[in-house]
Amino acid sequence: MPRPLAFVGSHLVLAAALSACSKPGRTTTPPETRATPTPSPPTQTRPAPGPKVAFVGARVMTAAGVTYDRGVVLVERDRIVAVGSDVAIPPGTKVVDVAGKVITPGLIDTHSHIGVYPAPHFDAHQDGNEVVDPITPYARAEDAFWPQDPQIDRAREGGVTTMQILPGSANLIGGVSVVVRTVPGARSIHDVRFPGAPYGLKMACGENPKRVYGDKSGPDTRMGNIAGFRRAFQQAVEYRAAWERYEDELEAYERKEADGELEEDERPPEPPTRDFGLETLAKVLDGEILVHNHCYRADEMSIMLELAEEFGFHIRSFHHAVEAYKIADRLAAAETAASVWADWWGFKAEAFDSIRENAAMLEMVGARAIIHSDSPLGIQRLNQEAAKAMYAGRRAGIEVSEDRALRWITANPAWALGIDHEVGTLEPGKLADLVVWDASPFSVYAHVEQVYLGGELVYDRNRDENPHTDFETGLRPFELAPEGIAPKAGDGARPASTREATK
Amino acid sequence: MIRRRTLLWGAALSAIGSVRGAHAAAPSRRRPRDLPFDWDGPRVAIVGGKVLVGDGTVVEGGTVELRGARIVRVGTGAPQAGADLVVDASGKVVTPGFIAAQSQVGLVEIEAERSTRDLGRDDEHPIRAAYDVAPAVHAGSSLVPVTAVEGVTTTVTVPRGGVIAGQGAVLDMVAWDHRGIVGRPRVVMVGSLGRAYAGSRAATLALVRRTLEDARFYLANRRAYDRRALRDLAAAPADLAALGPVLAGRMPLALSAHRASDILAAIELGRAFGLRVVVVGGAQAWQVADALAEAKVPVVLQPSHNLPGSIDHLGATMENAARLHAAGVEIGIAVLDEGHNVRNVTQEAGIAVAAGLPYDAAIRAMSGGLARIYGIDDAWGTLAEGKVANVAVWPDDPLELSSWPEAVFVHGRALPMESRQTRLRDRYLSRLRPGER
Repeated sequence: MPRPLAFVGSHLVLAAALSACSKPGRTTTPPETRATPTPSPPTQTRPAPGPKVAFVGARVMTAAGVTYDRGVVLVERDRIVAVGSDVAIPPGTKVVDVAGKVITPGLIDTHSHIGVYPAPHFDAHQDGNEVVDPITPYARAEDAFWPQDPQIDRAREGGVTTMQILPGSANLIGGVSVVVRTVPGARSIHDVRFPGAPYGLKMACGENPKRVYGDKSGPDTRMGNIAGFRRAFQQAVEYRAAWERYEDELEAYERKEADGELEEDERPPEPPTRDFGLETLAKVLDGEILVHNHCYRADEMSIMLELAEEFGFHIRSFHHAVEAYKIADRLAAAETAASVWADWWGFKAEAFDSIRENAAMLEMVGARAIIHSDSPLGIQRLNQEAAKAMYAGRRAGIEVSEDRALRWITANPAWALGIDHEVGTLEPGKLADLVVWDASPFSVYAHVEQVYLGGELVYDRNRDENPHTDFETGLRPFELAPEGIAPKAGDGARPASTREATK
Repeated sequence: MIRRRTLLWGAALSAIGSVRGAHAAAPSRRRPRDLPFDWDGPRVAIVGGKVLVGDGTVVEGGTVELRGARIVRVGTGAPQAGADLVVDASGKVVTPGFIAAQSQVGLVEIEAERSTRDLGRDDEHPIRAAYDVAPAVHAGSSLVPVTAVEGVTTTVTVPRGGVIAGQGAVLDMVAWDHRGIVGRPRVVMVGSLGRAYAGSRAATLALVRRTLEDARFYLANRRAYDRRALRDLAAAPADLAALGPVLAGRMPLALSAHRASDILAAIELGRAFGLRVVVVGGAQAWQVADALAEAKVPVVLQPSHNLPGSIDHLGATMENAARLHAAGVEIGIAVLDEGHNVRNVTQEAGIAVAAGLPYDAAIRAMSGGLARIYGIDDAWGTLAEGKVANVAVWPDDPLELSSWPEAVFVHGRALPMESRQTRLRDRYLSRLRPGER
């Protein structure tokens, strides 16, 4: 094995150092300028040359338009430094022979509730929906993320290296999402936050909010839903204006103070009351927090695009978007991605018009398609879901290359999360998040053999032991059983994960 | 009417001759019970394909001949019955239409819409054995073509709710065939162990035992009951009477159970009452695989389910199917508690194969083996003479994600390879790129 299985390591330091500055609500004043949607990369300067590893001989699917049948991925510390079929391997480089394997970027899911709706489904752990008000932009998924959720391990074993953890969809505005890396052995959100990733705002159209609040304070209809969004964003506009006014006054006051022109009884202006929810929405208006909008129907997505334009914000991605294919042209024009399933349908009225070709039809007209999971089972096989969607498209006569379909679960979700400068493709400069497969990831029979997170091996299928959470510690079957209790080896009934424990 | 059909069937058979090549599958020895399908009808020959019979055997370059709603021959060589339609399956794979077990197809259109849902009795009493899903089935459901065009031609559609939810039926996916969609009603009794009743698994088991005892008692003392000379019983007389075939060992009792203790209890129930128990779900089944194998209790499971969603699911693994099979347990593969996406049962089978289940066992677990579990193998499950003509022709491996059937026959009829979903697709394909289609 090229590198030992290491827990957390450098990620922790980096994450802790960088997360504070991007954490909403930490700063003492609201943002003054319209920030770019994606913050600057966390590492501005190259670290000193570190250990190099070359993965040699695999089919390298870059998700950046090129596939090398027998390629090389050269990694230094946590970064990819070269990818190609003819990469010079510097002396001292550790060479990993991956001939016959396939390497892809680490998979990225834009839609997960792992950690806020963990397994087991204890009542005590249902932390994804703050069902007290339809507008709760002050709620933050990272404050509820339980790092001992065993679903994190399963996602990593399915090749997922990055996922967005969202509040649920009970509320019109459910709160702030957090982008996490599937770091093993995390003790808190601080170990897993994606360094420098922007936060997201979870919004939900349609049936869920009106079902949850219909017999409470409302909304009770889709009219009420949209009215609720408008009211909230109008408040945000006014809130931002109040702070801008205050800052102008403060600036004037400070100028006078510096010039010694203050009147005798002149006091500095009083700041407006801080409201963490409105501050979140103001950051959405500024483009600093990205909007992720749960919305199924074409008509409602169209209305949301109009509403966003009216208030001057951008919807980064619709989620679920079962009818995205009906407005693929509008989504392309609005540069709004659609995070969709391969084939979920019919569980509610707004999911009735699902088709298998949804992602392919988005691709066909140049919209950004993403396959997301919204499921702790689906997240373990994003590759299979992308495969189904790709083949469905081809069957309908839509050309979809494997590279494009791979982008549905790598580069495109990276863009939707505002981290495409860091992850999502195999290109020099990006984090070395790699998945080694034993066959084409578009085959149902493919296994994830290894997962590298920032160059560190975090999962290896051929090991007896892989990382598991505190929760499962001591709870795995037969782990603490005396000799003779576990199923006999002849039954083929002993799990790999307990081989050591039952010896 | 029935006799005339039988005679015609016999005549057809003798005219054709029953050719069993060296590779031909052994046909079922049991005569199918009467089924509401046409015996006459067009003759279809599917020739040249790799025929996965559904019982583990493979016929290379096989010939599958259909007449009306029946399969009349599986073997090799030229069609012997003459054919109105010849399907060239050279280089392709021919399978029985797969079976979606424990499904809700036919009972639900939109899960969250009450008015479109007929999933079972929702009264207070936990014992609903007399409930029979067959009259609730809607042949015009959009789920029927959506399921069928993906090669899943048959479902075992079951009710939900309570401790004993009622009886499931075999459905064949013939859209709008109001008379023919229910291939056979009342094939399985379904129920749940675990904490289904009174918040306690012990109470649930006690209720099931008492119900079975009372059913036996009631069936032996009906007249006393009618005279009001019997003590109070665990359930209504109709529900107790409906358990007769279960107690007689004719109808399987499919019990959802995940924790090993519940699975052992299900095995013990079967032993004590002489039942044909089937375990459904079985997250921890692999932990008691030897007991299941010894008692010959099959398990119908969903291979992808590897999450510890509750304490009952600790140790859930994608290797469940492979481990049970290795221990000698008969398994069925299903997409559980689903209607809309039971079509993904082939993907689930692929997941099981990737986790170590032999390929043939995965195919059987959606066809012949599954039909045996539900006791419907006289008519469904394999490509064999006399069985219902449900057949799918695939470009290659039916478990692979790239593979959709090119042709599907249900009751011997070639289906239009379309569904509401493909119609929606085509409406918008032509809108998004006008002129091209």
